[in-house]
Amino acid sequence: MKNFWKKLYDWVNERVQLDDLVKFMGKKYVPVHRHSIWYYFGGVSLFFFVIQVVTGILLLFYYKGSSDLAFESVQFIMAKVQFGWLVRSIHAWSANLFILSVFVHMFSVYFEKAYRKPREITWVTGMLMFFMCLGFGFSGYLLPWNTLSFFATKVGTDITGAVPVIGEPLKIFIRGGEDVNGATLSRLFGFHVALFPGIFTILLAVHLILIQRQGISEPMHFKEKNPSEKKTMPFFPNFILRDLLLWLLVLNLLAVLAVFFPADLGHKADPFSSAPAGIKPEWYFLFMFQSLKYFPSHIFFAEGETVGILLFGAAGILWLLVPFWDMKSSRGERNRFINYLGLFAVMFIIILTFLGWRS
Amino acid sequence: MSKILIIILFIVQSGLLFSADKNQLVKDQCYICHESVGSTEADLYKKDIHFKMGISCSACHGGDDMSDDMDKAMSKAAGYKGVPKGNEITQACVKCHASSEMMKKFGAKIPTNQFELLKASVHGRLALDGTQRIVQCITCHNAHGIVEVTNPASPVYPTNIPGTCGKCHSNPAYMRSYNPSLPVDQLSKYRTSVHGMRNAKGDPKPAQCESCHGSHGILPVKDPRSSVYPTNVPATCSHCHSNAEYMKSYNIPTDQFAKYSKSVHGIALLQKHDVSAPACNSCHGNHAATPPGIESISKVCGSCHALNAELFSSSPHKKAFDNLKLPECQTCHSNHLIITATDKLLGVSPDAVCSRCHLQNKSPKGYYVAKEMRHMIDSLESSEKNAMNLIQTAEQKGMEIAEAKFKLKDAKQARLEAKTMVHSFDEAKFNEVVDKGLKVTSAVKIEGADAIHEFYFRRIGLGISVAMISFLALVLYLYIRRIERKRK
Repeated sequence: MKNFWKKLYDWVNERVQLDDLVKFMGKKYVPVHRHSIWYYFGGVSLFFFVIQVVTGILLLFYYKGSSDLAFESVQFIMAKVQFGWLVRSIHAWSANLFILSVFVHMFSVYFEKAYRKPREITWVTGMLMFFMCLGFGFSGYLLPWNTLSFFATKVGTDITGAVPVIGEPLKIFIRGGEDVNGATLSRLFGFHVALFPGIFTILLAVHLILIQRQGISEPMHFKEKNPSEKKTMPFFPNFILRDLLLWLLVLNLLAVLAVFFPADLGHKADPFSSAPAGIKPEWYFLFMFQSLKYFPSHIFFAEGETVGILLFGAAGILWLLVPFWDMKSSRGERNRFINYLGLFAVMFIIILTFLGWRS
Repeated sequence: MSKILIIILFIVQSGLLFSADKNQLVKDQCYICHESVGSTEADLYKKDIHFKMGISCSACHGGDDMSDDMDKAMSKAAGYKGVPKGNEITQACVKCHASSEMMKKFGAKIPTNQFELLKASVHGRLALDGTQRIVQCITCHNAHGIVEVTNPASPVYPTNIPGTCGKCHSNPAYMRSYNPSLPVDQLSKYRTSVHGMRNAKGDPKPAQCESCHGSHGILPVKDPRSSVYPTNVPATCSHCHSNAEYMKSYNIPTDQFAKYSKSVHGIALLQKHDVSAPACNSCHGNHAATPPGIESISKVCGSCHALNAELFSSSPHKKAFDNLKLPECQTCHSNHLIITATDKLLGVSPDAVCSRCHLQNKSPKGYYVAKEMRHMIDSLESSEKNAMNLIQTAEQKGMEIAEAKFKLKDAKQARLEAKTMVHSFDEAKFNEVVDKGLKVTSAVKIEGADAIHEFYFRRIGLGISVAMISFLALVLYLYIRRIERKRK
């Protein structure tokens, strides 16, 4: 058996020079320090993305993206397709854990200031992928075409409509018309399975190539250490194998969640019924949704909701551009303000999400 | 009604009290002159309640009633208006009748909201010419010979009301121009009803148009505020029919409304506001209201319960009921107090109706058929419950059973069909329907059991998968430890 694998490797190596790649990876080292655990969340996010792609393709075999058939096709997947329930439940759970993992990955990079020069592009591509994850979540939520998803999309797109100038046209573009209907479903289905994955794959490729090209960022205090004092581990095979171990544990978690808490389907969307009481968006939008509730109806001449949306937009842009305005970290100096800002953001998200969940 | 009588008595009394004004009226130059030329209006006015109150012609027509000079009395300078036209007619009446002060002045205690009610009523809408209301006060009350409503000569006296309303409502050409879909046979139907026949004999107590539709504030039947809107009909009828004192002379029960309110029809109409449920008029008719005869009960009930009536008519029971002169549906289901027809009615248990006639020793065949039918329908119900329990258990376990749940509706439908099929009193036909339901419940039970089995299969599958993945993770962990030890 060993001979077979060696022969296979040699056969491939002869044609694509695998040795060069193995040597390249063997030279790469991952810093080892008390915050090393956060490095694994990039890999976990990638794993969730792969699961999403695989389960998404399997769901596509049976899903029908029209308002007449969407709900019934998901019902068919859940009840009749062999392991359809498992595929859909894993897709749903993995989507949530993907976003959670991306959140953790983003904040760990932020607090480590790993975005500092020369990794600005890595950060920007990562942030863009984070926004796309939210887009994946929003577009995928409508696809089962059930009551909850229908009205959540209605509320979500209504909020988009409150953005000054571009809000209304953007809302109509997302909805494919004035109201949420079959056109919205077709549109979001297209975004979810074609447009977003295409853009995401390009961003992911750039992100991964940059990580391989620039290596994994060292924490700021490593700069003060002698090379002999710096603890590291080889990227291949040690770090990759540890990543793989974590993926297996995550796979176990996904299986348990999918079996014990299979994805719910609810009732088919009825555009003529009234919205269910206390309708809320998915947990990752909850902090924004809850925050908007606290804005007064009017702030000076503008509507409170509009001001809130603009503030979130401004905060998102500032966050996206942090490598370009945090010059201190780029110079290798300590920047406490960044830490306090990050802590505020984390606390804000946790508290507002909790309040939103309880309301 | 008693309030109206008191008011009318008061008006009459007030007429007497104001006899001084009557003397004054003798000096009313309008009346003196018009009477002298043999005017019909003046002749009619002599009998008018307003004449008795000392109200001069000038109150409505304007002019100077004290002047014996015709040119002066009927001059514009004296405020002479001539014959009021269109809405001016009602305005002339409203001047006093909408003013509580004015009515007080004449000692009348009649309401002053008639005009407001009329404006909001169906008769208050614009007439064809678009300049006036469809109905003016004089349309019903007359112009110069207005008498108290308690006076049998009044066009709005109970026995005259049908004719008064019928003047327009029985005129197809007139009614077509306002509401072509409205029937015009109400009066002729009414004359065939018990109410109408008694009314025609001069009895003012039986219901006439006003008793049900109201007088000044008549609303379209489709208006939920109308006293003849389906949900209001029972209360409207019960106004007289539940009044034991009022109905005393007619020797009929007065508990119909109380019974109806508790019936399946009453609950549907009065509590659930289901306007498709029958009200009194659905069975008794409205304008031609009469109790359905023994032979027509099944036809009346069958107008809604068509299949049951048809099955009954072709069943052996039809002939037997006819021979025994038993009212068809009513014998088993009662009339006003019709309760939900549960399965308890079927069979030979003490609360069943079959065994009232089909005694075990006297009619064994009917007895055993009834017993078997009850057994079959009970089996279907129990099988349906078991199937429902199974799919609910599966649902609680998070299984997708929407299709099975939907299928179970067919079993419920079969049970309902079986309840209808009872009326054929044919065991074979009945069993055929029940069997259809039992087949559905069996299929659903299998699906429910399969879903529960699948639930446990998933857990076992999960256990195996987790064990395998965990084993792989352990091997990987040990391998990592080995290579990391080597590296050190």
